[in-house]
Amino acid sequence: MAQAIPVFTRADPTATRTTLNEGYLSQPVVMATGTWNWLQGIATLNLEGLTLKRGELSTGAYGEGFVDRRHPHTYAHELMVGGLTRYFGVQGSVFAGRGFVPFGSDDPMMRPFEKYPVNHHLAQVLEREVAVAAVRYGPAILEVGTFNGDEPISPSASPQFDRFGDSFAARATFLPTGGLELSASGAAVKSPEVALGSGVDQRKASLVARFSRYTPTDWRYALAEWARTDERAAGRLTTRLSTWLGEAAVCRNGFIAAARLEQTDRPEEEQLADPFRTPRPPVDLSNLGVSRWTTLTLSLSPPAVGRWFLTGRPFVEVARIAAAPGNPAGVFNAEQRYGTDRMWMLSAGIRLRAGQSHGRMGRYGAAAVNEEMTMAMAIGTDSLNSGSHQMMAMQHTMTNPCAL
Amino acid sequence: MLIAATLASFALIACGKDSTSPGDPGTNFASCPAIDFGTKPAPLTLPKGSPAVLTALGNGVDTVRYQAEVAARGTTAYTTSWSVRSAAGNKVSIWDVSGNVPRFVDSLIINGVSTTGDVAVSDDGRLLVVATERIPGSIVIYDLADPRKPTKITTFSNSETNPGVHTAEVGRVNGKLYAFLSIDPLGSIPARLVTVDLTNPAAPTEVFTKVIGNPYVHDTFVRNGLLFLALWNDGVQIWDIGGCGTGATPAAPKVLGSVKTLGGDVHNIWWYNDPNGSKRFAFVGEEGFGTVPSQSSGDIHVIELSDLAHPREVAFYNVPGAGTHNFSVDETNGVLYAAYYNGGVRALDIRGDLSTCDPNQKSLDVSTNVSRCDLRQMGRELAIGLQDQAKPVYIWGVQYLDGNVYASDMVNGIWKLKAAK
Repeated sequence: MAQAIPVFTRADPTATRTTLNEGYLSQPVVMATGTWNWLQGIATLNLEGLTLKRGELSTGAYGEGFVDRRHPHTYAHELMVGGLTRYFGVQGSVFAGRGFVPFGSDDPMMRPFEKYPVNHHLAQVLEREVAVAAVRYGPAILEVGTFNGDEPISPSASPQFDRFGDSFAARATFLPTGGLELSASGAAVKSPEVALGSGVDQRKASLVARFSRYTPTDWRYALAEWARTDERAAGRLTTRLSTWLGEAAVCRNGFIAAARLEQTDRPEEEQLADPFRTPRPPVDLSNLGVSRWTTLTLSLSPPAVGRWFLTGRPFVEVARIAAAPGNPAGVFNAEQRYGTDRMWMLSAGIRLRAGQSHGRMGRYGAAAVNEEMTMAMAIGTDSLNSGSHQMMAMQHTMTNPCAL
Repeated sequence: MLIAATLASFALIACGKDSTSPGDPGTNFASCPAIDFGTKPAPLTLPKGSPAVLTALGNGVDTVRYQAEVAARGTTAYTTSWSVRSAAGNKVSIWDVSGNVPRFVDSLIINGVSTTGDVAVSDDGRLLVVATERIPGSIVIYDLADPRKPTKITTFSNSETNPGVHTAEVGRVNGKLYAFLSIDPLGSIPARLVTVDLTNPAAPTEVFTKVIGNPYVHDTFVRNGLLFLALWNDGVQIWDIGGCGTGATPAAPKVLGSVKTLGGDVHNIWWYNDPNGSKRFAFVGEEGFGTVPSQSSGDIHVIELSDLAHPREVAFYNVPGAGTHNFSVDETNGVLYAAYYNGGVRALDIRGDLSTCDPNQKSLDVSTNVSRCDLRQMGRELAIGLQDQAKPVYIWGVQYLDGNVYASDMVNGIWKLKAAK
């Protein structure tokens, strides 16, 4: 499967205190899966390092040295191998490679909005060298993982391999009924922002409720999450960053309407001459305070058009953004920084795809709860592991008018 | 193929860069026969009372930029600027400090930089050296023939100063003037020290560089041919750069010793030479976490240098809710002035033996089982400044000069205070 999103964005205003209009090719990814006997592999190549070198306008966003722009992801976005087995009704799997840490919610790339939420760095941990073990029994899933704490420093940079194992995460998931999913997770991340170590550490917690149900012509989706990241220096709490987010989408005959409301804390850091960049690593442990971003995003998308294995789904998104002092406020002043504390963002583009929809990202092996499964349940199958039913679901995905 | 690629991703080894000049100081501790550290000073018994208030004489206001470091000489002070407030930190302000209220008289703008974090005046008063961040990083050297109208001589920048010069300490070693540059890390490229010969200020020459600091080298202190390096979690390292009579030079330094102070985060150092000849104590600033302008953390640590190969921490000073930054010392009167961010300015009496105290003046660090004298319990807290203002302060740097103390305040500008003694 391959995907790319030509998108136009208007940010009014942004970190330059002016309105910017920009266009890019966002989220250009190639995904592949494979199996060899009991071994499974998942690979996602992300080419944003070529198309989004300056980052994508996304007011309020932050992370990896970018602010008010979403940073480009690494070329090797996901490269995992592992095995899945089953004994007496218990599924077990071990996967390792570069990929998602078992923490938080789904990767925003596979959710109904083109723009990532501000809380990306509070609600997901990705692009790490990670080993994840998972067990599943009935509706209960438990994952544990270890990884390198350092976040990527550029799309092409190697991680600090000697830091593998310095950070940990665990996630428990419960699937009470068709389409509903509840999860709780926690992570201890060592010095994410100072690749060489000795930066502030993070303790993360997340609660997620997700619902997704397909019919042959419709789709209903909702996600509610709360997450918190405590930054700690020398074992002492220094900054607490919280977020809550609710998003929902309904689709009928291919028309998708979606809305997202979130409130997320952002640490304010030293600003460089380029107002969209902060130093990585930071030059010390301090910050300039915390800002609080409340964002309402509405999205509309008419039915996809396509031929053969190519589809294109147009979309338009409008976001209304409010910036306020957080706790502690420090010296953050939205009026001073942006010229206002209320901002708009408009995005329009088309989600181009070749091949079948990827479904979700961020879970491996026994922990995977793919859309195919919820679809299989929706069309009345009784076994989630039946190959024929999975095939039916995949065909369903390819032809479902509500696929992203 | 997919599996092979994944396995290969684990097999890749990131290549570290550790380019070092031929005169690498190494790790074997050398001796220092030429420097007499003096005898242990006599203990000084002081009553523990309430500290006095350092009188604020005036405030030269700048709320357009965040102020950074301060340097003063004669009746002129220079303050640098940091990051971006309403305007970028590309400015060095020049202040007339002859009166009680510092008066802005002129400025230097260095285009293309976001921070002019450090500033120093050479010991002969002829040069002003400004450190710049970020990429590519540089020092800009000015002629101070007219201290109120510095004229630019040159900018020194090379691949080793990338991505930024955090601090530039200027000092003379055996008659020659040098600048010791603490270079920021970038991504996975580690921090480093760069030593520059300023004998010809129009043509500065790099004479030494070494990857050092964990993860930062934030500052240095040079005196009597010794260089003290603040290496964050690697503590303090002491180099002979020509003071020990063993052939070491700034281009070919030798390591004399090192110590890790409690808490790490070693940010800055002052080696105190008291008027009675004792050179046994150095003061180490710990820069912990902070939020401008409301909170900061980090103690002052006192290290004892009688065994130069193995200095040891003997005392500390803590301010609840605040942390230290840069120092300046009135050595004649034995008063250390510390910038203390939201804690204002702190003046400590550092005369006499700081390593000896009564048991009730000691504090045990339970995590390391190290017992140290508490300068506050020893009655050494002489005076506090800028905690009596009606607005928050966040003091980055201080300089004692001729009975006054100049303090750069990130959020308010520059203050002139009457010294404690």
